[in-house]
Amino acid sequence: MKNIKQWVEDCRNGTESYQALIDRVPYARFLGIEVVSRGEELYFILPSKDTNVGNPTLPALHGGAVAGFMEQAALLFILLEMGEPRIPKTIDLTVDYLRAGHVRDTYVECSITRLGRRVANVHISAWQVRREDPIAIARAHFLLSE
Amino acid sequence: MCERYVEAVRHSRELGIEILEAREQSVRARLPWQERLVGNPDTNMIHGGAIFAFLDQLGGLANALRVFPVFEITPTIDFRIDHLRAPTPGKAIFGEAECYRLSDHIAFVKFEAFAEDSDEPIATGLATYMRMQVDNAATVVAGEGAA
Repeated sequence: MKNIKQWVEDCRNGTESYQALIDRVPYARFLGIEVVSRGEELYFILPSKDTNVGNPTLPALHGGAVAGFMEQAALLFILLEMGEPRIPKTIDLTVDYLRAGHVRDTYVECSITRLGRRVANVHISAWQVRREDPIAIARAHFLLSE
Repeated sequence: MCERYVEAVRHSRELGIEILEAREQSVRARLPWQERLVGNPDTNMIHGGAIFAFLDQLGGLANALRVFPVFEITPTIDFRIDHLRAPTPGKAIFGEAECYRLSDHIAFVKFEAFAEDSDEPIATGLATYMRMQVDNAATVVAGEGAA
């Protein structure tokens, strides 16, 4: 079976899609995460899906599903940002919920605040209508183990 | 009440959350291992996101127990999870949430999660929730408004 370094290599040279890489993660498929690449830039989408609904009266997306989407997007983002890919492990994740997540498509953007030798600090933003109005922002640390 | 609550929340039903014990301001529940919740296909461990969603849901339940018999919805303001150690592959996860302080507008909740086969916590969490009185919250818990 192909190891993770080979996968990342294949995604970079275009012989595999980033979607195929994220589809290896059962939980990413459970949420229904999609990845779109434009050159080397990645966009993460959580398409509207009944199984991700939390509050049935509003209705609204489940905050946990949004958090899981943000965490998984960041995991893939760091994996691809490292020259020599290593599997990141989540140390901690802190999510601030700013607005109710409506039952519609959600987008996530990640930026690495600091990529150290052992630990990465990542900022994650989730939005639905426009990126200036995020529904949630998050900060996470990931352990970059061998 | 907790079971009906989980039943009404589609995502929690999908996670398969089972309520074990409900007290005045805390709740204990089980997240069964499911293949589709796996984060790393090479290790079969449950994804951190699923544990987050599980605990966040328990926070809502702890709040509901604390304010009972009044019905409120409590959207999450912020939630932090620390992953202390890896969950055991193929094993269920137990979670506990306690609403340890209820102010006029805010509920404060702390969390712990354990793997089925160990007494050492795999994760701890801390969250705040906003208290909102909603007229039809009661019908949701009673099952009438459930989607």
